[in-house]
Amino acid sequence: MTTTTKVFEYTPGANLPPGDDPLHGELMTLNMGPQHPATHGVLRIVVTLDGERIVAIDPVVGYLHRGKEKSCETLGWHKFFPHTDRLDYVQPLMNNIGYALAIEKLAGIEVPPRAQVVRVLLMELSRVMAHLIYVASQSIDLGAVALFFYAFRQRELAYDIVDAYTGHRMNNTYVRIGGVYADVDEQVSAMAARFVEEFPLALDEFEKLLTRNRIWCDRNRDIGVIPRELAIAMSLTGPALRGSGVEWDLRRAMPYSGYESYDFDVPVGSVGDCYDRYLVRMQEMRESIKIVRQALERLQTVKGDVLAEDRRFVLPPKDKVHGSMEELIFQFKVVTDLRLPRGEAYHGIESSKGELGFFIASDGTAKPLRCHVRAPGLMNIQALPRMAEGRLFSDMVSLIGSMDFVMGEVDR
Amino acid sequence: MGIVQRKDLSLAERLYLPEVVRGLSITFRKMFEKPMTRQYPEEPLPKTEVTRGQPRLVVKDDGNVACVSCGMCEAACPAYAITIDGGETERPIEREPVRFEIDMLRCILCGFCEEACPKDAIFMSDELELADSSRGALVYDLEMLKRPKAALQKRIDYVYRLNQRWRKSSSTS
Ligand code: SF4
Ligand code: SF4
Repeated sequence: MTTTTKVFEYTPGANLPPGDDPLHGELMTLNMGPQHPATHGVLRIVVTLDGERIVAIDPVVGYLHRGKEKSCETLGWHKFFPHTDRLDYVQPLMNNIGYALAIEKLAGIEVPPRAQVVRVLLMELSRVMAHLIYVASQSIDLGAVALFFYAFRQRELAYDIVDAYTGHRMNNTYVRIGGVYADVDEQVSAMAARFVEEFPLALDEFEKLLTRNRIWCDRNRDIGVIPRELAIAMSLTGPALRGSGVEWDLRRAMPYSGYESYDFDVPVGSVGDCYDRYLVRMQEMRESIKIVRQALERLQTVKGDVLAEDRRFVLPPKDKVHGSMEELIFQFKVVTDLRLPRGEAYHGIESSKGELGFFIASDGTAKPLRCHVRAPGLMNIQALPRMAEGRLFSDMVSLIGSMDFVMGEVDR
Repeated sequence: MGIVQRKDLSLAERLYLPEVVRGLSITFRKMFEKPMTRQYPEEPLPKTEVTRGQPRLVVKDDGNVACVSCGMCEAACPAYAITIDGGETERPIEREPVRFEIDMLRCILCGFCEEACPKDAIFMSDELELADSSRGALVYDLEMLKRPKAALQKRIDYVYRLNQRWRKSSSTS
């Protein structure tokens, strides 16, 4: 794909309407956040206002910085998994998988086919859960309180599936290098099958309440328009980019975990406003459900292990450890001294927020040299000042909500 | 690729009042749905063998802990929650823990200790509740962590079921 990048002039206040506003001309600086219910975590935004109009905003990130990338260097490759859960905490399994894929790329591990199907299933469920949070929080921020509860109800059902599978509702840590920890059993797939049947109906209901709702349209349509070129120049990814009409989905563009063999559509928007991003996310949930359905079908036919047989990186089965000295040594080696080959690798996955990438560098010892997380939310926040300029202050809430970032991932 | 459809609102939708009625009909119907809320302390959470609660040490049928204080769980713990001091024992296994502490405030219930243990000595129980009035009281020592094997049997069976992989032998053994 060839794109022309344009340099955008940024003059605060250039597109303000000429003032009939009595307060016009006197700028006021307002601090929004870091503890503000609408900033989705701990994002601080310094807003310069001219009356009700925004002249410029300055998002300040870093209030949730916990040094995750550095933690990887001190903990080692395997022990970083629980930390990836806590990046984008509304979709822990997706983060696990992204990190595992980067390691597998560097180490050249072949993931068994069944594990890939399970991973796709988990990733799409995570996407639904994360997008449900988006609908819920965006609607409660804009005043539709009832929908918040309806969306959380559905999310609860999805969490029940994850709970039955991993034993935890959040922070699951169930993905391992070379596959997933456990196989999806009958009970879990039955729960998922039921969810797949019922969820689209709930989604219809959400759409009935929101999509053609006058208030929702007024507060989302033509608000925060990101033109196609700007979206690319700002390196937006995910629904924020697709809302602006760019068809770029890593599941299609650089398939991983066998996504090339699933049948799904990539919805894109036409205008690039908050409303388009909302529509894209709603449609993405439907597409995810389609993929989950296909993955469930494949689970019937694709059998086998869910962990690669590679004793350098995967723990041997428990009963073998008792009986064999070699296996016991492998067990000790994997736990205490897991080494990746020398080199570096990057793997990006299409998370619910955009391209979630893990860059890892190894010098061949058990201590990671570097682990970097490409957080889609951080890039998406960068577009906020361009979107907010000249808008009314009350639009801030729509803008923040529609970019849908999670500060745990942005600040790391 | 499919472009999401955005249609302009019709007059009725712009007038808003008919829409309010339509919206309220949905909320009204919701009142008769089965509530999903769990009354948590009165109505306990469902606990299965999959539930990963706090880690507990297995006490074998002969009354001794199965742990040989090899330190694998300590090494595997990403939260540095486990502290072990080993000592010698007359029993044939030769080593046993003198001090075995898990700081439950640090533990993130990840289950890595369970996976790492080569002696089937530590397993995730289904005990989830954790509350006390001091931090010190939540550092569980050997006595507080001990559980008879029967209490953990469901989980042990489950973990063994999960470990039914690679039925070929390894190339070296
Ligand atoms: S890994 Fe098992 S045997 Fe070793 S110290 Fe921990 S509990 Fe004891
Ligand atoms: S469950 Fe995880 S955090 Fe807790 S003691 Fe075991 S290894 Fe450490």
